Amino acid sequence: MADATTKNPTSAPQDTRRSFLEGVAVGWTIFSAASAAGLLATARFLFPNDLFEPPTKFKIGPPSRFPGSKDGTVNEDFKSINGIWIVSTADEIYVLSTVCTHLGCTPNWLSAERKFKCPCHGSGFYSSGINFEGPAPRPLEKYKVSLAPDGQIEVDKSTKYQFELGQWEDPNSRLKLA
Amino acid sequence: MTLLKSITETQIWKSLFRHKYPDNPRDQALAVLSNVFLHLHPIKVKKSGVRMSFTWCMGGITFFLFLVETITGVLLMFYYRPTVEFAFNDIKALREHVPLGIMRELHRWGAHAMVISVWLHMLRVFLTGSYKPPREFNWNVGVILLVLTLLLSFTGYLLPWDQLAIWAVTVGSNMARAHPIIGHEGPGASFLQLGDVPLVTAASDVRFALISGRVVGAATLLRFYVLHCVAIPLGAGVLMAVHFWRVRKDGGISGPM
Amino acid sequence: MPEQIKDLVDWLLGPKIYFLLSVVGFWAMIQFRAFWTQAWVAGGIFVFGVVFFALSMGDRDFTLIVAKPDNVPISIMFVSIGFLLWLSFRKMVINDRLIAKGLPTFEARESRRRVFCWPDLVYSEFLCLIILSVLLLVWALYLKAPLEEPASSARTPNPSKAPWYFLGLQEMLVYYDPWLAGVVFPLQIITGLMAIPFIDINPKGNGYYTFKERPFAIVTYLFGFIVLWATLIVLGTFLRGPNWNFFGPYEFWDPHKVEALNNVNLSEYVYNVLLERALPSNILLRELPGFLAVALYFGALPPVLANFGFRKIYSQLGFIRFNVLANLLLFMAALPIKMLLRWAFNLKYIVAIPEYFFNI
Repeated sequence: MADATTKNPTSAPQDTRRSFLEGVAVGWTIFSAASAAGLLATARFLFPNDLFEPPTKFKIGPPSRFPGSKDGTVNEDFKSINGIWIVSTADEIYVLSTVCTHLGCTPNWLSAERKFKCPCHGSGFYSSGINFEGPAPRPLEKYKVSLAPDGQIEVDKSTKYQFELGQWEDPNSRLKLA
Repeated sequence: MTLLKSITETQIWKSLFRHKYPDNPRDQALAVLSNVFLHLHPIKVKKSGVRMSFTWCMGGITFFLFLVETITGVLLMFYYRPTVEFAFNDIKALREHVPLGIMRELHRWGAHAMVISVWLHMLRVFLTGSYKPPREFNWNVGVILLVLTLLLSFTGYLLPWDQLAIWAVTVGSNMARAHPIIGHEGPGASFLQLGDVPLVTAASDVRFALISGRVVGAATLLRFYVLHCVAIPLGAGVLMAVHFWRVRKDGGISGPM
Repeated sequence: MPEQIKDLVDWLLGPKIYFLLSVVGFWAMIQFRAFWTQAWVAGGIFVFGVVFFALSMGDRDFTLIVAKPDNVPISIMFVSIGFLLWLSFRKMVINDRLIAKGLPTFEARESRRRVFCWPDLVYSEFLCLIILSVLLLVWALYLKAPLEEPASSARTPNPSKAPWYFLGLQEMLVYYDPWLAGVVFPLQIITGLMAIPFIDINPKGNGYYTFKERPFAIVTYLFGFIVLWATLIVLGTFLRGPNWNFFGPYEFWDPHKVEALNNVNLSEYVYNVLLERALPSNILLRELPGFLAVALYFGALPPVLANFGFRKIYSQLGFIRFNVLANLLLFMAALPIKMLLRWAFNLKYIVAIPEYFFNI
C-alpha cells in the first residue's frame, strides 16, 4: 500500500491538502469549543454563589401559641418576615407557603370568606391550601415542621411538600398534636 | 446685516460650516452632506416620504424620545443610588429637594410615550407594506428594537423601589420561572435530575439568573439598574445605528416602486 | 349621566361581551371602511366619544381609574390608534378607488417628485421635535409620576398589575398557564412578527396604503394588534380590579366581590361526564383526550386548511411557508378559542398535568 501511494504522482499534494484540511478542522473545533466554554463561564457569572436572604430554618414558638379550631385557624404573624402562614386545626398544625402557585404573588387571608385570595389573578385557596378557584394550577406548598427539643415549633423552608406529588402524606409536613 | 456677515466671515464660523446659507440647491445639498448628524438623511427624498400623513413621523419621534430618555436618565443617575437602603428615598427626594423636580416625570412619561410610538411606527410600516423586499432585514432589526424598548421600560419600572415597582417586576419575572426546562416551575424541569438532586431549582433556574436571587431583592435592584442604564441602551444604540443605516441602504423611506 | 346608561355600559363591558364587541367592531371597521372614514362620520364618532368621556368624568369610580397617572398613556394610545387608523383607512379607500380606475396611487404620483431634505424634511422633523417637547413638558408639569409606599415583599397590593404594556399578556394568564402565556406566546409573537416579511410574499402594496391588494395581511395583523393586544391592554387596565375580578367602568372596586370560578378540566369532562367513570390513575391515559385535541389542532388542521379554504394561499406559498403561517395563525387563534371554551363550558385545562407543571 505504501508503495502505491508513493508511486502515484498526485498523491503527495493530496496528502498535503488533507493534512491541511485536518489542521483547519482541528483548529476550528478547538476555537469553537474554547468560545463555547468561555460563553458558558460568562453565563455562570450571572448566578451568584452567596445570597443575602433570611435563614430558611427558624423557630416560631410553642404549640400553645397557635390554638386550633375545627375549621382551622390561620396565623399571619410570620407572613411578612418569613413568608409563611401557620394553620392550626383541632389535632394538627401545618405551615403554608405564602407564595401563590400561579405567579408568585402573596395571597391575602380573607377571614370572613375563609379563603386565601390572590390579588394578582384571583386564585383562591381554602385554609387547607387546596386551590378551588382562579388560575392557580395546584395547591399552596407546605413546609417541613417539627417540634424542637426546647418545646418550640421549628419550620424548615428548605424542605417543601407538594400536594399533587402526594407529599402531603409525609409525617414531616404537619405537626400532630397529642 | 453687516454684523451677521462679520460673523459668518470669521475663520471660526467657516471652520464649523463648510457651506453658505442653504437657499440654493448646492448649499442645500452641502448642508446635509457636511453635517455628521444630518447626513443620516439623503440629499433628496421622495415627496411622499416627507408627507407627515404618510410616515406619521413615528420613527423620528421614537428616536427623539430615546434621546430624551438618555439625557434625563443621565441626569437622574446623579441623584439615584440603586440600593434597597436609598433607592426609594432618593426617588422621593427627586420630587422634593431638587429645583424643577420634573426630571423623573419627563423620564417616565417619555418612556411610556416611546413604547406607544414604537408600536405606532410598526403599525405604519406594516400598513404601507414597507417590510417587503428589500426591507425584510430591517423589519427584523425593528422587531428586536421593539423588544429592547419594552425591556428598557420594564427594567426601569423596578428602580423607584416602591410597591408598584416590586410587584410589577415580581409578576413579570415570575413568568421566567415557568419557562419550559430551564425554569423551576416549567414543564420538563423536574426531569433534569442527578440521582435525587434536582438540577433546576429556585436557586439555579433562568429566573434566578435574571433577578439574582430567589425573590426580587437588593441584588435584583442592582442588576436591573445596570441593565437599564448600561447594557440595554448600548445594545439598542448599536441596533439603531444598523436600523438607520439600512433605511438608507434599502432605498430610503419606502414608496411605490 | 343616568344610572341606567351606566349599568348598561358596565354590562356591555363585561369580559365576554367586551371581547365579542371588539371582534364585531373590528369586523365593522374593515367592512364599512368607506363609510366611517368620511370626515363627518369620523368627526361624529369623535365628538360622541368626547361628550361621553366628559359626562363620565362626573362619575367617581370612572374618574378614579382613568385619571390614575400611569393609566394616562393608555388613553393617549387609545386616541392615537383611533386617529391613525382613520387616517390610514382613509388613504386605503382613496388609493383602492384609484387602483380600480387604473390610475396611479396617491403615493405613486408623489414619489416621482424628489425634494431636498433641507429644508423640507429637516424642518418638519424640527417642528415635530418642538411640538413633542412642549407636549412632554406639559404632561410632566401637570401629572406627577406615581410613587407608592416603599417596597414590601409581604404585602401584595390588590390588584397587582404588570406594567401597562404587558397587561395584554397578564390578561392571557387568566386563560393559559404562565409557561404558555408568559413564555411561549410572547416568543411566538416575536417570531411571528419577524417571520412576516418571509411569509407575506405578495409583491403588491409595497410603499403605499392599500387594502384591496393585501386584505389577508392587513386583517390578520390588525386583528392581532387591535383586538388581541390593544383592547386587552384597555381591558386589563380599566376593567380589572381587586382579585383580578372584572369591574365595569362605573363600578366601585369592591375587594370582596365574589365571582364563582369553578372550572373543570377536559379530562374530567370526558371521563366523569361522558364515560361516567373515575379518572384513570395513569397520567398519560388520563390526559389522552387533551393530547389528542392538541395534536389534532396543530397537526391535522394545517393540511386540512391547505386543502379547504386556504387552497389558493397554499399554492402560492408552498409547503414550508404555508406551514409556518398555519402554525402562527393557530397559535394566534388559540387565545380566543380558549376564551370561548372557558366562557361556554367553564373549561380550565385541555391538558392538565399539574404534577409536572404541564397544563395547556
